[in-house]
Amino acid sequence: MTHEERLERYAEIAVRVGANVQPGQEVFVHPHLEQAELGRALVRQAYKAGASFVSAIYNDGHIRRAMIELGPDEALTYSPAWGKALAEAFAGSALLAITGDPEPELMADLDGERVGRAIPLEIAEIRQRQHHENSVNWCGIGGPNPGWATQAFGEPDVERLWEAVAFCMRLDEEDPVEAWRNHLDRLEARAAALTALRPDAIHYTGPGTDLTVGLLPTAKWASARFRTASGIDYVANMPTEEIFTTPDPRRADGTIRSSMPLLLGGRIIEGLAFTFADGRIVDVEAEEGADLVRSHLATIENADRLGELALVTKESRVGQSGILYYDTLFDENATCHIAYGMGLGYCFDGEPDEAMNASRIHVDFMVGGPELEVDALLADGTAVPLVRDETWQYEE
Amino acid sequence: MDERLERYAELVVGLGANVQPGQEVFIVPSLEHRDLARALARAAYKAGASYVHVNYSDEHVRHAMIALGPDEALTYAPDWAKRFVESFSGNALIATAGNAEPELMADLDGERVGRALPIEVVQIRMQQFAENSVNWCGVGAPNEGWATQIYGEPDVERLWEAVAFCMRLDEDDPIAAWREHLARLRERRASLDALNADAIRYRGPGTDLTVGLLPNARWMSGSSTTASGIEYVANMPTEEVFTSPDSRRAEGTIRSSMPLVLAGQIIRGLELTFEDGRIVNVDAESGAGVVRGELDSIPNADRLGELALVTGDSRVGQTGTLFYNTLFDENATCHIAYGFGFPFVFDGEPDEGLNNANTHVDFMVGGPELEVDAILADGTAVPVIRNEEWQLA
Repeated sequence: MTHEERLERYAEIAVRVGANVQPGQEVFVHPHLEQAELGRALVRQAYKAGASFVSAIYNDGHIRRAMIELGPDEALTYSPAWGKALAEAFAGSALLAITGDPEPELMADLDGERVGRAIPLEIAEIRQRQHHENSVNWCGIGGPNPGWATQAFGEPDVERLWEAVAFCMRLDEEDPVEAWRNHLDRLEARAAALTALRPDAIHYTGPGTDLTVGLLPTAKWASARFRTASGIDYVANMPTEEIFTTPDPRRADGTIRSSMPLLLGGRIIEGLAFTFADGRIVDVEAEEGADLVRSHLATIENADRLGELALVTKESRVGQSGILYYDTLFDENATCHIAYGMGLGYCFDGEPDEAMNASRIHVDFMVGGPELEVDALLADGTAVPLVRDETWQYEE
Repeated sequence: MDERLERYAELVVGLGANVQPGQEVFIVPSLEHRDLARALARAAYKAGASYVHVNYSDEHVRHAMIALGPDEALTYAPDWAKRFVESFSGNALIATAGNAEPELMADLDGERVGRALPIEVVQIRMQQFAENSVNWCGVGAPNEGWATQIYGEPDVERLWEAVAFCMRLDEDDPIAAWREHLARLRERRASLDALNADAIRYRGPGTDLTVGLLPNARWMSGSSTTASGIEYVANMPTEEVFTSPDSRRAEGTIRSSMPLVLAGQIIRGLELTFEDGRIVNVDAESGAGVVRGELDSIPNADRLGELALVTGDSRVGQTGTLFYNTLFDENATCHIAYGFGFPFVFDGEPDEGLNNANTHVDFMVGGPELEVDAILADGTAVPVIRNEEWQLA
């Protein structure tokens, strides 16, 4: 497979399996400047899939940096009218977002409090509403570039990163579409079994970790294969290896330690540890970047409560690649993770439980590893092992 | 940061767009203009911008749309793009030019390329031109593809030097040098206005064209002022004095003297024949299809919207460089545009003879052999340009 063939094959999987672009739909593509090659391939594949029009909106971290460094305070949270119109137009349309930060440390020398506050609030609200209404068939994928490769490997070995991404995306399979269907069926079966078990809480234990998180009675476990309210199947993240639910934000007690660094607002957060009491984060420690996380928690409503629990085991292709990607889309699929902030409305069949966390952000951090033990706690107090040594334990 | 780049961005923000404290600033670069776009964003915030919007465009995305998209996509204006352009009103706009892949569209159907225009977006810009509600500036952004087009090799540094010369960045105080230069152009336009000419006549090899003028249309140059009173320089560099002609009166033939890049194709040896103000024949050595596509699909594209006069003391002309970019090349020599005219050349309401169209395409007609005369109402011919030199007092 030449690089061009791999690129087109990748874009085709993202368009046809991921976002599942429907004939006549408008499509929105969001690459970084450094991902133009992939962005263009996605545009071509979207038109080939019958898109009526494709808008490509390029993202340049340096413009955001100039705003945070030099702009007035009001600029930090400003949502321009056209930006709101753009986000509104996603409803009923298809969206392809590309991760893989070309300059992960671009914001490192800026005031962490300003970086944390720099979110266009009204646009975030529009996206949050679309999540709840499930009105967008969207897909997030990775876009290899020299900066991301350097972050992952210490050198700009973009080809090595492309090979890893292609492996995670199952492009080596003879029929990647069929391979993805089988894979998603497996995850869905796992999610269905756990939903049927009806646990009351999840208990995490491991080095520096002993945390119990309550579950909501009507919240289901799900895979990333979703269906929009209008009936379009899509895969919101590619790769995806997780099953997940949205927990009871009022019930979390104990301490949990992240097992991998994460990138947040252009900065790297390492050695993060949270302590919870009555559902709230009451203490944040980190070897690096604690100020940015504290700024989130202090300035954004309900950022200090949990929005997601996700379980991943070692047959994950991302985990098998053995690479720390410094990119949440990939790393969260290597191992178990948790997110603070916004809950996931699509974990419910009907209206979400009103206790579900409502917040403008959603930040995943990784907690899994060989030593993490995950149990389901049933209403009668029984502990059912779910994950040991990164291996799935529970079959119906 | 590169000192020249920063100096350039400061000149464009401070004098060109003349960004006012508290204004929003819109920057519309191509992907390959990122270095300049970033410098402009920083300079705009330093000038007090309340917010800087940067919307990159990618010609490959446009190529995919023309090659693979449905017919309706060609003229579609997405709601977000209309809001984006609407927001220019009352704010500052900086457009960067310098095509990184000038022949990208060459493999496409010229008729589709010519038709591919987001009509409603263009109409909003036309309205803003009419209301003069945007302090804006178009500038060049050197890049490898553009440099290769000019020099046959990607010598970006050489192009930067040429652009810096045209932009007067070699002067100790570029802003002061620009103010003097703009004053010189103002004197020229005053002497033309004083003639009250009825028409302009062009003669040269393959050219004999007479274009009527509108009695209340004035000649313009370099700096403009928005309706709300902000002075700006719409094109940098600028070396021209220009007006909008009577779109009903043009007779004869005119031959372009330089290639032009239009919708990703290079038009060479363009020759247009006019009758009663309309283009009745289009010939070209290459790219005639794109021009014919525009003229056929856009109402009134086949009438003139601008006449502009440039002489040999132009810094752009002095570089001796064919930039393959209208912003620069139109300032090297005399040019003409088909398509919309400029409502702002009138003090009050525009004359009904002013052309109204959804396009405006400049092509170069000047050179040592072009003679330009002002024809007065009594038929007297007053020489305006000979041998690329200004003839009026």
